[in-house]
Amino acid sequence: MRNVWVVATNTFREAVRDRVLYNLVFFALLMMGAAILVGQISIGIEQSVIVSLGLSAISVIGIFIAVFIGVGLVSKEMDKRTLYALLAKPIERWQFLTGKFAGLAMTLTVNTAAMTAGLYLALWSVKHTLTSSDRYLIVAVYLILLKLVLIVALAMLFSCFTSPFLAILFTLGIYVAGLFAGELRRVQAVNLTPAAMSMFRAMSYVLPNFENFNVMATVAHGRAVPGSLVGQGTLYAILYGAIVLLGASLIFSRRNLK
Amino acid sequence: MKPKTILRWVAGLLILAGFAGIWRLQHRIDATLASARVEQDQLTLRSPAALKRISLEYAPLMAALYWTRVVQYYGEKHRLHQTNLELLWPLLDITTTLDPQIIPAYRFGSTFLAQKPPAGAGQPDRAVQLLQRGIAANPDEWRLYQDLGNVYYFDLHDYSKAAAAFTEGSKNPNSYIWMKTMAAKIAAEGASPETSYFLWQQIYETTKDPQIKKNAEEHLILMRAQLDIKAIDQISDQYEQRTGHRATRMVELIEAGLIRGIPRDPAGFPYVLDESGKAQLNANSPLVEKEKTVLERR
Repeated sequence: MRNVWVVATNTFREAVRDRVLYNLVFFALLMMGAAILVGQISIGIEQSVIVSLGLSAISVIGIFIAVFIGVGLVSKEMDKRTLYALLAKPIERWQFLTGKFAGLAMTLTVNTAAMTAGLYLALWSVKHTLTSSDRYLIVAVYLILLKLVLIVALAMLFSCFTSPFLAILFTLGIYVAGLFAGELRRVQAVNLTPAAMSMFRAMSYVLPNFENFNVMATVAHGRAVPGSLVGQGTLYAILYGAIVLLGASLIFSRRNLK
Repeated sequence: MKPKTILRWVAGLLILAGFAGIWRLQHRIDATLASARVEQDQLTLRSPAALKRISLEYAPLMAALYWTRVVQYYGEKHRLHQTNLELLWPLLDITTTLDPQIIPAYRFGSTFLAQKPPAGAGQPDRAVQLLQRGIAANPDEWRLYQDLGNVYYFDLHDYSKAAAAFTEGSKNPNSYIWMKTMAAKIAAEGASPETSYFLWQQIYETTKDPQIKKNAEEHLILMRAQLDIKAIDQISDQYEQRTGHRATRMVELIEAGLIRGIPRDPAGFPYVLDESGKAQLNANSPLVEKEKTVLERR
């Protein structure tokens, strides 16, 4: 575990050095602009607009970091040849992967926490108060974070066996497909054969179902998110993330690094 | 077997077991989401004009996506036997604003809107509004007049407007020939079982939507029964003229040589005469229950 922790903390430090957290400036500007403009463009739905915009920004910025940094975690080390020096030390490949994953997850947690604080500030500046229903924002952000962590795992999986460019494409493709996983299961098409319907259904379980983490609309209207959904979403992210990391470790352990 | 190979096999098995866990977990999440589904029904952007501007040159693509959402929304509500279709009109409004030439949205959308719950939203006025918008944007699309006539005839029972819609549609040289005669018949007689039967038959033969087809088929079966009952009553009238009293059993009509055997309804059950000599469905016929359901919808 110590090896994993060392790699994770170094990955976090590297991300900070690479100015990944600079995106927070962009987020702050966006929120300030929205807070100023929202009163002029909408009537009665200021809270809904600020929350939707803030959560969307947290999600989109997080996805960019998860995909682009996640793909680079392994490939950058190989390109710079620092991986060889690292693996010459008493560290297993799966430990390296897990550490990198944990490091980026830490970065995303810090980044998301800072953006959440910014979102609360924007909300406060619009409403001049915070109500009890605003606490549900934390739940939505937590579920977004789970989604981002899953995306990091997927980005790392793809970067273990293909080029960075293709890994980015694959990860984004799986992300988009994962948003429609639920639709695949519920598809109502008269011209589909039973075999095709079964295939869609099977695919909907294999694809990561990102719909499970989307409570943005509920929270934007100040409604509570069922506690069971939070628990199940957490379990889903842990289970799916473990499967993906296990797969990535299997592939990476067989990869010829010469 | 080498320890590394064993480890790989174990890892592979763990992945399979993990997906089995995902399968079970997803069922639970679906159940949780389904219980909160009503609350999640919403449309963030309700302004069709704003959406059109945001869509830039991709408005037709957006319209196609919104139309898909309409179909999924209606299908899902139907599947869950939910009757609150309040998003149907806003979704159709957005779809047809984004792409005014999207004919299926007018045709199917008006049917979804016009029918009474649980088959539809029970908003025939909105259906008329949608079809009139469709006609304004697509004046050559004579089928929209046919749909408009059907909504006026079946749902709003406004026979003069139904006749006017059929007349207007019949002016198109590509339209069905029957539209002109039907317009005249409705203008003269208003509603009649023969007219209703004919219009439902047209819907049944021309629609591609299985739910609309099934609905039309149910109506046709019941209307066939109504026409049979009307014919039996006419024969009973003849019997009464001959004998001076009304037949109360079918056998009396057979013995008088007016019918050859006991007529049966489309479900295969024999019609019966009540105490006053009026023909009616057999109490055991499944059509009795079906008639109640369809009448509730209309």
